[in-house]
Amino acid sequence: MPAYGREPETNAGRQSGMLAVTFVILALSLSYLPAPAQQRIAWTMRATVLRPFLVTQDRLASARMNARDVEELMAKMDSMTAALSTQAALSDENRALRRLLDLSERAGPTFLPATVLRAGTAGSESMFLVAVGSAQGVYEGAPVVTWNGLVGVIREVQKEISRGMDWTHPDFAASAMLEDGTMFGFVENRRGAFREVDRLVLDGTAYNEEALPGTRVLTSGLSGVYPRGIPVGVIDGVEETQGEWRKSYWLRPMVEPGQVTHVLIATRGAGDDISALWSADSVLATLTSDSAQATGRRRK
Amino acid sequence: MHLLLHVGFGIGRAAPDLLTVALLLGARELGMGRAAGLGLFLGLLEDALSVLAFGANSLAMTIVAALGAVTKDLFVGDSTLFLVSYFLIGKWTRDLVHWLVAGEALRQPFVDHVVVQGLTGGAYAAVVGLLLLEVTGLRKEAAA
Repeated sequence: MPAYGREPETNAGRQSGMLAVTFVILALSLSYLPAPAQQRIAWTMRATVLRPFLVTQDRLASARMNARDVEELMAKMDSMTAALSTQAALSDENRALRRLLDLSERAGPTFLPATVLRAGTAGSESMFLVAVGSAQGVYEGAPVVTWNGLVGVIREVQKEISRGMDWTHPDFAASAMLEDGTMFGFVENRRGAFREVDRLVLDGTAYNEEALPGTRVLTSGLSGVYPRGIPVGVIDGVEETQGEWRKSYWLRPMVEPGQVTHVLIATRGAGDDISALWSADSVLATLTSDSAQATGRRRK
Repeated sequence: MHLLLHVGFGIGRAAPDLLTVALLLGARELGMGRAAGLGLFLGLLEDALSVLAFGANSLAMTIVAALGAVTKDLFVGDSTLFLVSYFLIGKWTRDLVHWLVAGEALRQPFVDHVVVQGLTGGAYAAVVGLLLLEVTGLRKEAAA
């Protein structure tokens, strides 16, 4: 029996050990290679084995950059939209003022310019204040108009301030007629489920007379409250037919009271017929177009 | 997977050192020479991406691979305790050798790199290694 001793190393084991030592020496020598040689080895590895991973990283980094760019662009777009929306409001106001100025020039000193102030409290939705009063010649029942047409009427007058109601007020009523004077009636308010859907109705018209959609309706001056010729609205369709003796029509209002900021208020010298102020074809055409657009917005 | 996580996705240290785990697993299957060769190759991959201390990873991986192959002759079995110790010590040894070879100018403080990061990374590698063995079924095959 052979004596117990160390297990003899196989040839393969020795070779493996030698190989391992060789690799360790090789690895150690890598640290002492000149820098250009090290860089060449690293570059070769990066260009071959590591290339897919580096490309993946590059694309992911690009995607992240793009995502960040999109966020920045969105933020810039939001800022620009905010700026533009502010400018749009200013532009609208500027246009309204220019139109009012145009109307004011045509109306002369018998109409007073004023800025509309709304209290914004509950119950005051259809009322507004204007900083002109009896001292400037404003009287109770004075019509309030814009370049587009009738806004409402002054109800209370003090020395330097007056209170008026617009056509959305339940008490609003105005005698009216078609533009060509063929049909007379009175315009009143029909409240909707929301204030935004309040509408005007031309009521009390004769059954056997037809008002075509798109026909302009003006104040007739019959009641003595509103002078003749102020645009009120445009016929939009039949609202109701009662028996065979009366029809009423929906009107598209000429003025959206919520958008009104500046108005003209008639004084006693304005006269009973002011239709000449709105008689220019271009003005009336624009009025109709504006009214249609406003109605479209309301319906949306 | 290691390169995809570390290089492709750029996750960094949050991703486990799968290269060392793979090397330790491979070293148990290969002979010492081939394991050292594998270690040198994997180390070179990491060195190619490191700007400084070229060769440190290569040497560390080669030595760890060779030592891992030696353990095959010293320890038999695949108990959880052994595997956890194997991965933990293997990864820690790799970090230790790397720290030693990297040179004074480049290496971080010993406590940070070897004690804290080495042991934490070792534990992480051990958990991931065990999970990999379970998921891939390599552990059952070895037991059979």
